[in-house]
Amino acid sequence: MDKKYGVYICTGCGIGDALDAQALCGVAEEKGLPAKTHAFLCSKDGVELLKKDIAAGTNTLVIGACSRRVNYDTFSFEGCIVDRVNLREQVVWSHPRSEFPALTDEQKDDGVHFDRLQMLAEDYLKMGLARVEKVDLPQPFKVESLSRKILVIGGGMTGMSAALDAANAGYPVTIVEKEDVLGGHARQWRAQLPLGDPYDRLAPPLVDAKIKAVMSHPNIVVKTETVVARIAGEPGEFVVTLKKPGEKIEFDVPYPLPDEMKLDEKGNELDAEAQHKKYMEYNEGKTDILTFDPNGELFGAVILAAGWRPYEPDEGEFERFGFGKLPDVVSNVQFEEIAKKGKIVRPSDGREAKSVVFVQSPGGGDDADFAYAGAVTSLVSLKQAKYVRSDFPEAKAYVFYQHMRTPGLSENFYKRIQQDPGIFLSKGEVVSVSQNGGGLVVEADNTLLGEKIRVHADMVVLATGMVPVTKDDPVINLAYRQGPGFRDNALFDDYADSNFICFPYETQRTGIYAAGGIRRAMTVEESMEDAAGAALKAIQCLESVNRGVSVHPRSGDMTFPDFFFQRCVQCKRCTEECPFGALDDDERGTPKPNPTRCRRCGTCMGACPERIIGFADYNIDSIGSMVKAVGVPSEDDYEEPPLRILGLVCENDAYPALDMVGLNRQSYSAEVRFIPVRCLGSVNVIWIKDALSQGMDGVFLLGCKHGDDYQCHFVKGSELADTRMRKIGEALSSLALEEERVAQFQVAIDDYDKLPKIINDFVEVIEGLGPNPFKGF
Amino acid sequence: MAETYVVDSDVGFINALAGLGAEDLKKCYQCATCSVACPISPDTRPFPRKEMIAASWGLKDKIVGNADIWLCHNCGDCSTLCPRGAKPGDALAAMREYTIMDYAKPKALYKAVSDPKKLPALLAVPAVIFLVLGLVLKLFGVNWLNFAPGAEEFWQADFINNYLVDIIMVPTFMWSVAVFALGLKRFVADMHANALAEGKTSREKIDPAGFFQALLRVVPVIFKHEKFNDCSENRERSTAHMMVLFGFIGLFIVTTCFFIADWVFHIDGPYTQLNPVKWLANVSGLALIIGSLLLIKNRYAKKDQLSRYWDWYLVGLVLALGLTGMLSQMSRLAGLAGLCYTLYFIHLMFVWTLFAYTPFSKLAHLVYRTTALAYNEYAGRQ
Repeated sequence: MDKKYGVYICTGCGIGDALDAQALCGVAEEKGLPAKTHAFLCSKDGVELLKKDIAAGTNTLVIGACSRRVNYDTFSFEGCIVDRVNLREQVVWSHPRSEFPALTDEQKDDGVHFDRLQMLAEDYLKMGLARVEKVDLPQPFKVESLSRKILVIGGGMTGMSAALDAANAGYPVTIVEKEDVLGGHARQWRAQLPLGDPYDRLAPPLVDAKIKAVMSHPNIVVKTETVVARIAGEPGEFVVTLKKPGEKIEFDVPYPLPDEMKLDEKGNELDAEAQHKKYMEYNEGKTDILTFDPNGELFGAVILAAGWRPYEPDEGEFERFGFGKLPDVVSNVQFEEIAKKGKIVRPSDGREAKSVVFVQSPGGGDDADFAYAGAVTSLVSLKQAKYVRSDFPEAKAYVFYQHMRTPGLSENFYKRIQQDPGIFLSKGEVVSVSQNGGGLVVEADNTLLGEKIRVHADMVVLATGMVPVTKDDPVINLAYRQGPGFRDNALFDDYADSNFICFPYETQRTGIYAAGGIRRAMTVEESMEDAAGAALKAIQCLESVNRGVSVHPRSGDMTFPDFFFQRCVQCKRCTEECPFGALDDDERGTPKPNPTRCRRCGTCMGACPERIIGFADYNIDSIGSMVKAVGVPSEDDYEEPPLRILGLVCENDAYPALDMVGLNRQSYSAEVRFIPVRCLGSVNVIWIKDALSQGMDGVFLLGCKHGDDYQCHFVKGSELADTRMRKIGEALSSLALEEERVAQFQVAIDDYDKLPKIINDFVEVIEGLGPNPFKGF
Repeated sequence: MAETYVVDSDVGFINALAGLGAEDLKKCYQCATCSVACPISPDTRPFPRKEMIAASWGLKDKIVGNADIWLCHNCGDCSTLCPRGAKPGDALAAMREYTIMDYAKPKALYKAVSDPKKLPALLAVPAVIFLVLGLVLKLFGVNWLNFAPGAEEFWQADFINNYLVDIIMVPTFMWSVAVFALGLKRFVADMHANALAEGKTSREKIDPAGFFQALLRVVPVIFKHEKFNDCSENRERSTAHMMVLFGFIGLFIVTTCFFIADWVFHIDGPYTQLNPVKWLANVSGLALIIGSLLLIKNRYAKKDQLSRYWDWYLVGLVLALGLTGMLSQMSRLAGLAGLCYTLYFIHLMFVWTLFAYTPFSKLAHLVYRTTALAYNEYAGRQ
């Protein structure tokens, strides 16, 4: 595209009072670009001015005004490249003239004094101008044969709900269920937890009605006794091979080579081709992931609703409860089966169970609930206590818990159960269960009764947890180079969760949305709500892929990583580091991009040592040019030149936090120049080298928390950046530069009040180190 | 404490308490706001939190025979502050009623006393006794029941001879004492067992002399309503209650004096209003009337506290006693013989009712609470 530039400086919101707008225009005019000022650019009048210029052919706009996080729609113009130079939040609002005074007439051009604030603004403008020169308007990526079909894995309550929700929204759905009937665990239940107002009584199971609705829905195909052999391809055109459970076929998903098999006898890493050969041997009988099943069925998105299985204790794990030895000590799932059959009777002798003790916690000095429990097991114990009471009017049910969790309106259910004269609740630790004549004796300590107590029981029920089936098996069987399942599930206790509080249903694989018991222990009511969420996400995926834009979290982003393959050295770093498994390398190690799997974080761009990966509007050159546009004054310019420090800032959390600093009129050093990046994972070390080699005195990265409680929108970005920065330290010392000149700081979006100190402290460290010796070269 | 307590929940007990006004008992979630709010709860092992869990678990053995429930004077602070609406105050009242019921034998009498439908029958009992005994004695020539008493210079004994009254009342009183004695024997043993089990006392055995001394120490406390007054909410009730208590004591003294005057010195009445005993009688009677009226007024005014027939029975009876007694005297002084005799007869019925049914009515608290307070004093519970 032929770029026709236009530079616009807004003088509203205090910008014009603090800065010399004419001098700013001069910066553009020096480059031969037209520049205009306006007192109120986001007003109708201001926007008209822009539109008039656009009509006259301007298509590349640099707008020096407020942060790009505000007035987003106002300054968005079809077919135009727009760069927003943040003169308001990050220049004038965070650098008051009272602290950064303007020059007096005598001070101007005296070689000693300089106007830090004006310099800051002019640098940002130059950086904006540099960027727009290097970026292009994105063109959408379209898959060849888009499928609007949604695959639902699992035919339990969650899967059926998700299928109905998606089908009712007009999308064709296929449910695969490994059993020979739909319904899952819900078929085994006598009653369900409260489903609606007033949330205080049990409801008849919904499962039969759901099955009927699914079976009669014209948009839903049900395949029972079917599992997923592999899902290849990418969102919009997943190629799915289905099979009967237990079958072995060539399109069973291959597993990645374990790390130790990637080495030769001497412990050196094998080359790509040798590794591939070993990998094919390792997966004998299976085709490679890049071979698509010609008979595979196309799907656009997948909902993973494979659910849970009952917890199976290790040998002797629940010995203190006699579980496994005493027949009348059962799990909550077993108890439910008994209850489903009729009045509650003891497994040992078929006698009516009129005193039942429910145990919520494995005890042993720890107050944790049973593993994989959550609030559901609390609610289920209350439900089952009610069964006992409704079967026999004189019956007694005791519940010993460490935590009684009845979230939300299920509190009403708890209250109602508590009111039952024959149900006894107490915090406490069950110490032992033993046989006593014809019954059981339960001993509990630290109860609300204030002493060790003993209860005679006919049955004891352990509130064991709901284990997500992804703990045992990937289930989704993705034909992805990184492997068939999700990575890092161990971080989430094996649940297929994303740990994005803000992003439920998202998994680490675009186009695959998890719902129900696979995500965490949940009730049917919660699972059905979850199913609706996952169905909506699957639809969002289809409707984004359809338009060639990113799904999440950069929803609507039309860019995608572009590879300049001629220069690829097959190092596989991009394939390995992509947090979303978007890249599959071939037998030689050349990455095969799958753009619709991609979330556009740019981690591949940050990883690539050859710098051959970039996006239309965000690439090595565009950011590199911004770095180079920063003016680095030396002793030739001023007696004591100011420092120049580069801050590469994650635009998801750190950048808005920086804006909030300005919004709250807190101030920080004017020596720092910020460049927003998509994710710290996208930071390529070349930018840091560029900055230091042109004489900048320090560089810091500002991004999300990493580690087990990471807050990175792209899961791995800030963690990868941290690793890379640690490695860059070695490179710096070889250049005789101090390692301290490069740092990374973790901030959350609400940490704005801590930012001025973080920034100023770093500036102080750099001041202590003295100016960059490369300055002026 | 080291021993393991065997839980034997009694669902029937919980339902019974619910029927006695503790229907919100199970709402308790053991936050212990009640124990903190209570101005008279001891610092160690305070009530009523532990009573709330024990009762809602149906642990009858931890409630009946628990002296702590008698420490409560039902000010209602706990019920007002309870975040769950479990009404510990009403629950404790129900526990006390259950205790009275549990120790009162025969149980059928308790059932009758607590059932408003049985009230006419209960009141008919003394009428029948008086008439039947009076008529039977007449057959033997003992004319203690005179259906044609004089109307000039008359007094009530012309109608029903004091000897007839006494030979009925004294055994009735003794019957109550006996019922109480049987109940108390178990009650004290149970209280001690409970205190030992819950670590509320360091004394191993009950020494009767020590217990009696404790009782003597407690009596002034009760007379001064010290515990009662510790509950700030209770000030008004306390005054009214004190009037009734001292009214009864005064009348008891008066009755004893005249009993002795009659049986020992054979001094016939009616006694002159200048007689100091008569002064005491009138003051006590007035105290009874005013006190019970105040109690009734307070009950009506206090909406957050449950008032059941069990409660109304007692205050009603006290008022009826006071009013019939006083009006009978006034109609005598006014020379209205018919009215005077009628009121006197009714008055006697109420007196008998008071005596005979005390162990089965709320008035039994007079004995149980006093014993429990004495026990706590003896056990060293602070």
